[in-house]
Amino acid sequence: MRDVIAAFILLNAVVLIVTYLTYVERKFAARMQSRIGPYRVGRPHGWLQPIADAIKLLIKEDIIPALADRPVYNLAPIVFLIPSLLIFATIPFAPGLGLADLNIGILFFLAVSSLEIVGLFMGGWGSNNKYALLSAMRGVNQIISYEVPFVLTALIPVVLAGSLQLSAIVEAQRGLWFVAYPIIGQLAFIAFVIATIASENRVPFDILEAESELVAGFRVEYSGMKFALIQLAEYTHMFGVSCLGALLFLGGWLGPGSAHPVVGAAWFLLKALFIFLLVTWVRWSFVRIRVDQILGLSWKVLLPATLILLMATGFWVALRSGHVA
Amino acid sequence: MSRNGMGFWGETRQTARAVAAAMTVTLKNLFRKPVTVHYPDVVRPYPDRLRGILALIYDETGEEACIGCRLCEYVCPPRVIKVEMLKGEKRNYAKTFTLELYACEFCELCVQVCPTDAIIMLKTFDLATSDRRELLLDKDRLHALGTQFENSWATGTKLREMQRPPKAAKAEAAE
Repeated sequence: MRDVIAAFILLNAVVLIVTYLTYVERKFAARMQSRIGPYRVGRPHGWLQPIADAIKLLIKEDIIPALADRPVYNLAPIVFLIPSLLIFATIPFAPGLGLADLNIGILFFLAVSSLEIVGLFMGGWGSNNKYALLSAMRGVNQIISYEVPFVLTALIPVVLAGSLQLSAIVEAQRGLWFVAYPIIGQLAFIAFVIATIASENRVPFDILEAESELVAGFRVEYSGMKFALIQLAEYTHMFGVSCLGALLFLGGWLGPGSAHPVVGAAWFLLKALFIFLLVTWVRWSFVRIRVDQILGLSWKVLLPATLILLMATGFWVALRSGHVA
Repeated sequence: MSRNGMGFWGETRQTARAVAAAMTVTLKNLFRKPVTVHYPDVVRPYPDRLRGILALIYDETGEEACIGCRLCEYVCPPRVIKVEMLKGEKRNYAKTFTLELYACEFCELCVQVCPTDAIIMLKTFDLATSDRRELLLDKDRLHALGTQFENSWATGTKLREMQRPPKAAKAEAAE
């Protein structure tokens, strides 16, 4: 029973945070373009905007295309959302403040977060729409390509910490955050950010949405609450990966006064927000690149680079621990 | 070796430089003050010669300045102005003066030709209404608008003065 209550609280907290992440992104994006962003709904600075958006989407008509594959179409947003929410099960927000601190936490995270792609493809297939299907195919293509370098970069902190448990990885950074490790840390962090942007289908890797050609990608036929669920899932996933980045590279909850769980969680969320804003910053700085460039970057640059980096890290760790003579 | 002959490292260096340049631009913008003006609440200062809604004005003696000469009606390219003249003892008046603002192209020609500076433009452009008939302006509405909003700089006299050929050229032409 305690676990169920904890899960309930966690899910609601995550959904609330993610709802407001859309607001943060819109404000941040607006400031980068010398605008002010949402302002009218709720004073000061339109802070009720996400709630208003949610209510608007709730009361909108739910349209199902006549030729859609109805079970698949209706199930897709749920299949899309659940893995995004599940990944929070293993994330430790502060020492002892997490749902399940699995000893293979990072494996669980990577495995579950890739399940998102199934929902994505179901949405594209079930819509029975050329654009949606094309977008879903591109999505699968791209996400699978970037899953490999993503996993390899995520393994670098694992090698450095010598554990698959997320809380142990954080504890291993007590002396020095992994992002501050000379050369290895910075390169791995850059690779992680690039792989994150790509596997979250964000600009400049958003051929999956490609506003100008595919309208809105695989969610083009969705409206109302289903659209809201898909949107929620995307942002939740983005937030989850930001949390992972904060845990793996930025020292999770570590920071001044982090012995207290609330301060630790605040540090953790701040670091996750930093990664989220970094990705948003990239999003508003670049234009979309071509499909072949995206895949070329993944297979020809990122994959060998992360492999070499992982090998170098392993070699360095072995050297330090004196296993190599 | 890449196609453009820069090689892998050259291309990487170029990419890194481009990434840094692009992200610097957005970062600079982030710390700049937004340029947005909260329009209905805050009105940006308009330029002096803004070509806004048309209006009729009164002259210094407080009388209607329009003498119903119909010059604006003749010059109007989309023909949105209709004037009827009313003969008077000392001067003439406009009996009716209608302006179909929904078809107006805001070319300012009517202002240019007006011999008595009666028709002018206003420093406002809030035209949105839910009924097109509200944009069919009669004489009373036009006069009311003229007192309601700030007038633009241009009047017929000023515009003609501005476009008058230079004196020297005129003298030369006379010879």
